[in-house]
Amino acid sequence: MAYVAGVTHALNAVADGLRLPPEFSPSPREPLLPLPELATASPEVKAVFDEIVGFYALDRPPAVFRWMARDVGFLQSYWAATRQAFTDGALDRRIKEILAFAASMTGKSDYGVDFHLREARRLGLTDQALTEAVEVIQLFNTVTKIADALRLQPDFDTGTSGQPGAQHPAASSTPPGAA
Amino acid sequence: MEIVRVTEAHELAQEDQRFCDATKAWFKIDFVPKMSRVLLTVPEFGRPYGRASRRAMTDGALTRAQKELIATMVSAINVCEY
Repeated sequence: MAYVAGVTHALNAVADGLRLPPEFSPSPREPLLPLPELATASPEVKAVFDEIVGFYALDRPPAVFRWMARDVGFLQSYWAATRQAFTDGALDRRIKEILAFAASMTGKSDYGVDFHLREARRLGLTDQALTEAVEVIQLFNTVTKIADALRLQPDFDTGTSGQPGAQHPAASSTPPGAA
Repeated sequence: MEIVRVTEAHELAQEDQRFCDATKAWFKIDFVPKMSRVLLTVPEFGRPYGRASRRAMTDGALTRAQKELIATMVSAINVCEY
């Protein structure tokens, strides 16, 4: 989950920071900087784009990856990391996309909400599950702000606060496949 | 350090203490989380919020474990240590 959080947050930061238009929703946004033309992409870039298009079942590479094609080495390495983060593992790809949607909504990323909502739906997210996910997102955006506003210290001793607290359950006590 | 005094569970109304006992059972813990006590300090807020929270985190189209992961993701993005 941490890899999904990191990659999603980073891609959203770049996409929204560069004003890249959402992939699937109408938007007046114009990129701050021009994206490399697809027609002039090198064979190395095309190979990565083909993989991305296949992974997401798209007819074109997402703008955030087109931006990275300015440097093929960066595109190749970051895409490989992204693919790994979102591939089925202890968590399946659908829940990873739901988590990326939650990260995007919480981070107020227009690009990310649009992208990950489409991808989660493509992978089987139902309207009922979407409603439930948004409920949880809303509730925990509430409590995290209340906790921060009141500077609540964690209930569990994470070993970093120096404050007394209950023993945090061992990480291994929750089977990774439980989700 | 908290900027308010966190209400002790025994200071809450009987009805709210029962909800706190249910919270302990829900999370399989032997203490009442600070957040529960803070929310119930104003019962008119804490009671409906608690009901909404319990309802939202129950198994449904998404499992409780999946919902806890979503909650963790929201906390991570908000950099909320609590």
